[in-house]
Formats: sequence, structure tokens, C-alpha cells
Amino acid sequence: MDAQLVVVVAGVILFVAIIGSLLFLRGYSGRFTYDTKNGTTPKASEGEGNTPGVAFKGRFTLLTVGIGAMFTALVAKLWSMQMVSSDYYENLAQTNQTRTVTTAAPRGRILDRNGVALVTNRASLAVTAYRDLASDTLLVRHLANVLGMPYVAVLRNIQDNTEGAQARHTIATDVRRSTVAYIQEHAGEFSGITIDERTERQYPYGTTACHVLGYTSTITQEQLQAQDENGDNAGTIQYQSGDVVGQAGVEARYEQLLQGIRGEQKVTVDAQGNVLGQAGSVPASPGSDIKLTLDLKIQQACENGLQHAIETARNSGYSHAGNGACLCLDCTNGEILGMASAPTFDPSVFVGGVSSDVWSELNSDDGGRPLLNRAIGGQYMSASTIKSLSALAGLEYGTYTSTQTTVCTGYWTGNGEAWGKHCWLHSGHGTMTLQSGIAHSCDPVFYDIGNAFYYDEQNPEGLQEMFRRWGLGSKTGVDLPSEGEGRVPDAAWKESYFQDWSDADRTWNPGDMTNIVIGQGDILVTPLQMATAYAGIAMGGVEYTPHVFLSAVARDGEGGDAYLYNNGEPRERLRAAIHSEDDLKLVKAGLHDVIYVAEPATAAHFNTLPVEVAGKSGTGEKTGEDEYAWFIAYAPADDPKYVVAAVLEQGGGGSSTALIAVRDVLGAIYGVDDTATGYDSGVR
Amino acid sequence: MATAARGGSSAGSLKRVNKKISTSRSTFRQLMNPGVLVAWIGLLAYGALIIWSASQSIADASFPRHLLGIGLGCALMLIVWRIDLRNLANLSTALLVIDLVLVFLPNVPGLSYNAMGMTGWIKFPLINLTFQPVELVKLVTIAFIASLGAQYNGRIDTVRDYIKLCFMLFIPFAAVIIQGDLGSGLVVFFSGAVVIMMSGARKEWVLSTIAIIVGLVSLLLATDSIIDSIFGDSHSLIKNYQMNRLLVFIDPSADSSDAGYNLQQSLIAVGSGGFFGKGLGNATQSTSGFLPEAHTDFVFAFICETFGFVGAIVLLALFALLMISTVRVAIKQDSLFLKLVAVGIVGMWMFQIFENVGMCIGLMPITGIPLPFISFGSSSMLIQCLAVGVVQSIWRHRTKAA
Repeated sequence: MDAQLVVVVAGVILFVAIIGSLLFLRGYSGRFTYDTKNGTTPKASEGEGNTPGVAFKGRFTLLTVGIGAMFTALVAKLWSMQMVSSDYYENLAQTNQTRTVTTAAPRGRILDRNGVALVTNRASLAVTAYRDLASDTLLVRHLANVLGMPYVAVLRNIQDNTEGAQARHTIATDVRRSTVAYIQEHAGEFSGITIDERTERQYPYGTTACHVLGYTSTITQEQLQAQDENGDNAGTIQYQSGDVVGQAGVEARYEQLLQGIRGEQKVTVDAQGNVLGQAGSVPASPGSDIKLTLDLKIQQACENGLQHAIETARNSGYSHAGNGACLCLDCTNGEILGMASAPTFDPSVFVGGVSSDVWSELNSDDGGRPLLNRAIGGQYMSASTIKSLSALAGLEYGTYTSTQTTVCTGYWTGNGEAWGKHCWLHSGHGTMTLQSGIAHSCDPVFYDIGNAFYYDEQNPEGLQEMFRRWGLGSKTGVDLPSEGEGRVPDAAWKESYFQDWSDADRTWNPGDMTNIVIGQGDILVTPLQMATAYAGIAMGGVEYTPHVFLSAVARDGEGGDAYLYNNGEPRERLRAAIHSEDDLKLVKAGLHDVIYVAEPATAAHFNTLPVEVAGKSGTGEKTGEDEYAWFIAYAPADDPKYVVAAVLEQGGGGSSTALIAVRDVLGAIYGVDDTATGYDSGVR
Repeated sequence: MATAARGGSSAGSLKRVNKKISTSRSTFRQLMNPGVLVAWIGLLAYGALIIWSASQSIADASFPRHLLGIGLGCALMLIVWRIDLRNLANLSTALLVIDLVLVFLPNVPGLSYNAMGMTGWIKFPLINLTFQPVELVKLVTIAFIASLGAQYNGRIDTVRDYIKLCFMLFIPFAAVIIQGDLGSGLVVFFSGAVVIMMSGARKEWVLSTIAIIVGLVSLLLATDSIIDSIFGDSHSLIKNYQMNRLLVFIDPSADSSDAGYNLQQSLIAVGSGGFFGKGLGNATQSTSGFLPEAHTDFVFAFICETFGFVGAIVLLALFALLMISTVRVAIKQDSLFLKLVAVGIVGMWMFQIFENVGMCIGLMPITGIPLPFISFGSSSMLIQCLAVGVVQSIWRHRTKAA
């Protein structure tokens, strides 16, 4: 509209100017004329006489001048274009006829510590087209017939914008070679349809280690936006719509290493966009292979052991059992040798895009939220496994001594009759020391510790300090996304957490203390945190940061490990101060007794192993649900190397179900299958 | 009168001229103007070369058909060359009638031929030849206006006569415009206007006419904008796409329509040619289909891309030689009518060349006017050769006046 206004105004001004000039000219019209001027100044030029032709001479001169002016204008413009600016236009001509096509780089593979490929790539042929192809109904129908897909499905894929509106949309992946050949032979009929060669993730072991490995999918709009907002950082990968990126697990955590560098192919095209030839290319360079600390054998043992434990729990009547975690780490350096979480998911469903049905199923509570890695992200009450730390606290702060005894009657009334609490063994353990309290997991011993802390003037929160000293309530720093932090409750926490409760109700009371001292109540830990804490106990206080990354291997070169986790050195997470070696010795003796002294049924499982094992069971009580089974062990007890932890949600007693997973993993490590069949259903 | 007057007042000069005339009367130079001949043959050869090159990659450009056009054009030129055309001066009414009949010939059922959205073509029954009568209209109009202008013997004395002449030019111009061919209409108008000016119209009349035309066009555009804004594009006098096409040469990248794309591609083709060009067959813009109509309307851009600045200068030099020689022919001719016809033909070439070349390099709006002797298309080729025939005829018969 603005342009039109300008035209209107200019038109009016011009018109007025013309009327004015007409009037002006009229006034002067008699003064001079074109003809008389020329006619009165004859020039004696060669050949011509003063015929009527003379009158024309001036006019012809003008005509010739006009012709000259015309050619001058044309030549001047040509000069400026072809001589002065020819580089500019040459450039435009080049851009006109070249297009840059990017070729996706294969992602790096993911290997276990022995080089066994857990994730590899396979070639896949995809049929793609731009979105506007959807308007060509005939072609889409034809294509649907050739691909053997329903017309509506093809149409939906063409119109699907998840890969970006301007990107080529994938119609079908993993298309058979014969179909592709047919489409390419009849290129005329299938104009607008492109065949892309891609590599896709392949999982030779199916769901094995799926939670550690994670999965890949096309980059989301949110991720692209986040990248745009962060701006260009040198050294980071610039993603474009349609790129496949890691979305969970190692795939996401080590995206920078796994992602390759896109190749670029310059092609010459004609005006219709048909490719006429290729004009040089930069080949795509694949991403680095990654070696994990996982040992496929131990990993499989973790998964099978967990499954074995779940089945056992179900057979024992715990019908809700099904979720859980089992992990094994090397306590001498923090390497995670196996990490299983149940239920599992199949990472290959994400290849080529996951359907919304499958996606919502993967995220539903009914399906058990299989995407959650319970080993690092599952937060549970620690149950009796925490008693070893409680014992250390009691010894260090003097709330319980190594020679002190508690008489367990099955009902503890140390804080008055009104606040009496049951031992898990209602019939009572009799007289217990701290060591036998750990061995039998006798609750009243620890009620006494908790109660004493509550009334301790100097260290009312010594217990929590001890838990935190060993790394509870903070992330372990494992190199996997979505790690849980856990929770060590104290008075301040209770005050702020239950804001809408009355002051009286949110006051820290002895009941809270006697709860957390046996790992019940509001305390939350992840299986990895507990495993790391037990690694610390086994190593005399040193906890190494658990990790799954071992090294990155250059794909082409045979140069070996190019990049190591922390330069090949274990990374120390923390070094818990030990008050006295005797304290630790007492706790370790207790953990030994858990396996070999407390219950013959438990000892039967471990007696077959060539090494001595120390460990602790636990049974979490949650209102309205079956018990949560825990078992953590380290071996060999005298020279610790492996820590194995297992949790079963609603799996019953720790020493009857979770123990099975732990024993299976140790059995796989030492090559001795579990032959014992009896389970102690008592010890928690 | 011409021969007698030629000698002028000087006896020596008379003698010299007479001798020259007598010795060379029968020579070829007397019969054919060498400048026009050389330029014409050069242009035909140049055009044949470039169309041959275009035929290698553009399916529509048929080299044999182009050669056929050249052959027919040469025959036509030779026929007309032998005819003394001065008698047409007395047939002005007949010329006007022929003119109008030609303009509306495509509307005659049975003759009209429409293909691929083109209008303004006729197809001769039985022999299956297509032809664009508007090309012939250009020449007939020149003859018509020249026949009228010649009556004033070199000076138009009254405004009434001048206005009458202008009105007479307006008739064929309006007819062509009604047929929807703005480009050819402008050719008709410009060549006719040159004839009128050369007929002896006073300078101030001409200037006033130009001013009035500019005013009227501005008024038309303004009215159109107002109608546009009130009633929408569907009711407007000039449709948006027409307006875009007219204005796109000011800023080719601003308009993403076909016109803008065409011009942008043409500019790229011309500019990327550089000094020596990319050579025959290497013109990527034209041969890969980026440059539309590379063998017809945008053939100049094709030449520029192939042969560069040098090739363009050679082409323009040939055109300049043709036009200057024709002006010389007009000067030498004594018959005022034939003089004006020759001048009108120069005017026609001026406009067509300036418009076509200017369009390719972004100096002028885009219109569908062919480049004489070069563009692929037999109608244009035949009529341009006919025009050369007329010029040569005027040269040949310059001394036969009574």
C-alpha cells in the first residue's frame, strides 16, 4: 500500500508539472522553432545541395545522436556488469548451480571393557521427500503401492513435521534394495522422492545394558532452540534439524565423542534442481568408539540375577515384584562392571522415530517407567543396610560402645511405653551387642543408638553427619544423566518440608531418629549411593567416583585408547574419616557375621564361593506396599574388589530375594553357581 | 528533381558527382548498400551461431527451423529489394485498412492459433505455418505514417495537422494494445513517433506531447492504485503481476515472482560472462535452464554469457552499423516518403534493440520483444529481413525519381 501511495503522489505531482510546462511552452511557442533554426544556418557540407534534404540534416544529426546515446547507455551498463562486477555475478552463477547436501556421519560404537560391541551401526536405506509432495495424490498412492504401505501412512509421514518443516521427511526406513532400485529406475515417475543412505543404531544384545547405553533419536525442536540460544561455541557440534543425537544414558552423556562430523557433498544442479554432477565433497568422519567399564558377563549376570530374584519373589507371593536394580562396581577404582534396572526397554524402538503410543507406554506408571534407571535414579529408603553406618556413628560419638548390650524382647520401650517399637523379630533376639546387632539386624540395638543421639547434647545430628560423611544425600557423580540425590532428613529439613503442618507435628522427635537409624522413615538413597558407601567401608573409607566410561577409541587409527577416564586414574569421590580402626573392624565383623553366622540358610549360599563375602540385607517398609528388599555385599572380604548391590521394589525380605541377585552376580564373577535352594525368610 | 539538384551550385562538384554516378551506376554498390548488407549478413550469421549453440541444450530451439526462417527471410528481402516502393505513398487509406486487418487477423476463426498461452498468432490453413501478424503491423504502420507525413513536405505548419498525424498513429497503436501486446504496441508507437518527428513536427509540440503522455500514464497508474486500494486487485486496470513486471527492473531481487526470477537470472548470465565469456556450450545459466527463454527474448543474455563483453560489443557494433547505414540510406533518398520509411525502420530497430538488450541487463522493464535477426522465431526473422529488403530497395531506387 505504501508503494501505491508513492505512485499516486508522484503521479499527481507529475501531472501538475506537465500542465505547468504546457502553459509555459505555449507562452514561448512563437519565439523560436526547430526548423527555422536549422534552416537559417546552412552548412556547406560535402555532396549535399540545399534541397529539402538540408532541412532534414539537423533532424538526422539528432537521430544519429539518439542512436549513439542508446548504444552508449547499453555499453556502459554492460561494462559495469561484465567488467566491473563480473566476479559478483560469477559467484551468483556458481551458487545457482551448486547445492550442498550433508551426509550424516555414523555415530561411534559403544563397547564393553573387553571390546565386545554393545551398540553398533547398520546401513539403512530411507525413502524421503519434501512436504509439498503430499499434494501429489497420484504419486503418493503410487509410492504407497511400491512401498507396500497404506496410503494414509505414507501421507502422514510426508506431512509429519517432527524432522522440521523444511527438511526432507522420512517416508520409510529400512527399505528393501529391490524397492529402492525400482524407484531409482523410474526416477521420472517418482520425481521429488529421494533415497537416503543412513546408518542406524543396532543393539546386538537387545535390551542388555539399555539403561546405561541409553538411546538415540532425532534432535527435538527444544534441543535445537537451546542450541540456538547458546550461540556458536567453537568446538561444540552444530546440530541441524534431522540429526540423530543421544537422548539418555551414555549416548547422551558422551554425545560429543560419539557424534561424528557431518560430511558435505557439493552437487551441481539444473534449474529444476536435478543433480547434474558432483563437485567435490568432504567425507563424513564417524564418531569415536567408546569403551565402557561394563563387563558383558557381569552385566548379564546383574540382569539375569535381578530377573531371577524377581521371579523368586513372585513365586513367594510378592505379586507386585517386578521393578528393581542390581549393580556391581569395582571398589578399588569406581568402575561400574554391571548395572541393571528392571523393567527394561528396547532401545531399538527409538530407531527411526518412536511412535507416540510406545512413548507414552514407556513413560506410564502402569508400565513401571522402564526408562528410569533405578540403579542411579531410583530413590528408596535404605532399610537395614544403613545399620553399618549407624553403628560407626554410635561408636564415634559414644552413643553406643563396642561392649554395650541391649536386651531385645521384640518390643522396645527405651523412649517410654507410649512410644514402644517392635523389633522386626517380634519374639526378640535376647541380649545383643553391637556386632551381633548388625549380624542379626536387631532393631532395638539401633533404637538405643538413635534415641541416644536424639538426647545427646553435643551431637544431636551426629548420625546424619555420619551418613553424609559416607556420601548419602549427595550425588555420587557417576557419568550418567538423571542421577538421584537421595535425602538425609534432619530437624531443619522436616521443618521446611512439611510447611503446612502444625509446628508440633513438624518438630524433630525421637521417633524420627529411631526410624532413620534403621533406614526407615524419610531417608532416601539410591542403590548406587549405597553401593558406593559399602565400597568405602570395604576400602577403609575411600570412595571412588563410580563411572561407566573407560576410554574413547579412535575409529580409524589403531592407536589404542585415545582418551581415558580421568587419564586412567581412579577419581576419589571422598575419604570418610575413620574414628578408630577398631570401629571399622567391628562393623566389618558384623557384616561377615550377617553372611556366615546369623542364618545357616544364608551361609549356605555363600559357602560355595571360593572367597569370603561380607554383606548386609535390608527390608524397607512402606505403608500400603509390600517390603522393599535390599542386599549389598562385597568380596573378597579380606581384600575387597567387588561390591554388588540389589534392590527389589515390593520384593519381600532382603535376605530371601535381593540376596539371590547378589549371589548370582558373585557366582558369575567367581564362576560358581548357586546351588543352595533354601532361603532364610527371616533376617532383614 | 533529385539528379538535377545534386550537383548544387558548384560546377566542379556537379562534374565530380556526375562522373561518379556514371562510372558506378551499374556496380553492385549502387544496388545494395554495403553497410546494411554487411551488418545484415553478420547479424544473421551471429544469430545462426548462437541459435545452433542453444539448440544443443534447449529442446524448443530448432536449428533447421531457424535456418528455414533465414532462408525465407533472404528470399523475401531479395524480392522486396527489386520493387520500387514509392507508389505506396499514395495508398495511405489502404495501408491503414491493411494494418487493422492484420492486427485483428488472429481473431478470425479458422486462422487463430493459440498454444501454450500464446495469443496473437495465426495459422495458415492447409500449409500449417504459424505467423505473428503483429510483426508485419510494425512495418505497415511505418509506411502508413510515412505516407501521411510525406504530404507536409518536410514541415508541419499547423497544430491541427500535427494532432491529426498523432491521432492516425494512435489508431494502430491502440489496436495492438487492445490485442494485448504492449511490447509490440510500444514498438509501433516509437517508430511512428520517430517518423512524425522527422516529418517536421515542431520541437515544442513534440515536447508537449511527451509531457502529456507521461502525465496520462502517471494518472493511469494513480487511478489504478486508488481502484486497487478500494476495490481490490481483481477490478484494477493494471493487474498486480503486470505492474510487478513493469517495476521489477528497478530492484530485481525484491520481486520473487517469475518476472523477478527471470531478470535476476538474466543479470547473472550477463554478468558472469565477463570479458571473453564462458565459450560455446559452457554457458551454465542458459544451458542448465536457469535463464528462461534463452533462445528467444533473453537471447542477448545468452550471447553475453557465451561470448562475454567482447561478443556483446561485436553484436552491438553490427546493430550500430546497420542503423547508421540505414540513416545514410535515408539521407541519400530524395523521396520524402521513402526517407521517412527508412527512418521509421531505424526507429523500430532502435526501440527493439534498446528494449530487448536493456531488459536483459536491467535497464528496461521486461516485455516480450524479440532481438532482431538473432532471436529464435520465424515471424520476427521474416519481417526484419523484409525491413532490410525495404531499406535496400530504398537505396537501389534512390536515383530513379522523376
